[in-house]
Amino acid sequence: MVERTRQESREAFILHGYPYRETSLLLETFTRTFGRVSMVARGARSPRSPLRGVLLAFQPLALSWFGKGELRTLARAEWVGGQPLLHGEALMCGFYLNELLLRLLPREDPHDALFTRYWETLRRLVPHGNSAPALRSFERALLKELGYAMALERDGASGRAIDPAKTYRYDPERGPIEVEDAGPEPRVSGRALLDMGRDDYADPQTQQQAKALMRTLINHRLDYQPLKSRQIFRDLLAL
Amino acid sequence: MKSPTALEELIEALRCLPGVGPKSAQRIAYHLLQYDKTGAERLAQSLHGALQSIRRCAKCNSFTELELCALCGSPRRDSSQLCVVETPGDLLMMEQTLAYHGLYFVLMGRLSPLDGIGPREIGLDVMQRRLADGEVKEVIVATNFTNEGEATAHYISEMLKDRDLRVTRIARGVPVGGELEYVDTGTLAQAFVERRLL
Repeated sequence: MVERTRQESREAFILHGYPYRETSLLLETFTRTFGRVSMVARGARSPRSPLRGVLLAFQPLALSWFGKGELRTLARAEWVGGQPLLHGEALMCGFYLNELLLRLLPREDPHDALFTRYWETLRRLVPHGNSAPALRSFERALLKELGYAMALERDGASGRAIDPAKTYRYDPERGPIEVEDAGPEPRVSGRALLDMGRDDYADPQTQQQAKALMRTLINHRLDYQPLKSRQIFRDLLAL
Repeated sequence: MKSPTALEELIEALRCLPGVGPKSAQRIAYHLLQYDKTGAERLAQSLHGALQSIRRCAKCNSFTELELCALCGSPRRDSSQLCVVETPGDLLMMEQTLAYHGLYFVLMGRLSPLDGIGPREIGLDVMQRRLADGEVKEVIVATNFTNEGEATAHYISEMLKDRDLRVTRIARGVPVGGELEYVDTGTLAQAFVERRLL
């Protein structure tokens, strides 16, 4: 794959950076053209590195890199701009988005639409207020990109159209299934399912049920290994 | 596997120093043994001594040999202000500005949600207890302007929001003497977002 060895000014976001050797950083990036790519930013942690102010998560960057194999080498990083730095709750939500991508997105698997969606979601996050609709809609887009698009229009058992007045449970493989009683999995109203299908989270009950539903579906995809960024939400709530 | 000789053990131990790889570790070990045995002796003793006597200051969480560090014990410092920094190195930098005369709290880290570093892993619970004395009127958050430093600042502001305290954040922007032409784009963009009224 000769054409893959050198890439110039590719749109990318940094998902996370880990200290590597004495002064370098190991970057997990999300690029538009190649999906998740890992690369080493040599000397990025040295005191006078010009990369210091550039290699920030949640900022659109233009990255150039070279090398073959799992780990590439960063050649250049340019600031694209246009995205204000995240702060407050928006920043916490940003960490959650990045952890989802780090955990669920396989390496070097391009997801152009998801890249656009991620960028759009960053812009929708608000420092104080309700970022939940943006998160729910991203979670759904992520599952869809991974090949687990949610069925939100028909009952997975009977095939009947979702009735807004009925109650459902959601089977990760089969979709919504009408139920009458309470149970261990979260219950969702037909109305909430239809709202989610339209990305409409105006109704507080829809918001609440969508949150519980997406949490169980994402946990299922994560094989029930907990997300670290959720802990900080819990700690903040416990204050 | 045979157990390492004293020399191998020394080389291996030296590698815990920042910037010291296997080659440098070997060079340092040979140098100490061949040319500077007194220096080696002194190094061994001072390392041992420091490990024995240095502990955390009861008030600011930084390193000290006493119950309270010199800064926290000084009557000349303004005890109504508390500046929160990530590391002792940051504290030193703040001191060099000569602009601040209050007290400090050193977190010894920052929140990093993706590395699983939460409020308990850094000294945030200790800080909350530290603030119970009621003397502090203003908390100045001087964590780094990285996403992790900002997350720490956000957590601190949430933690203190119901207290009768002024919580401030150090400003960021174009450096002193900075010419716009040479400032990095991100800094300039943020300086614009955080512009102030003249």
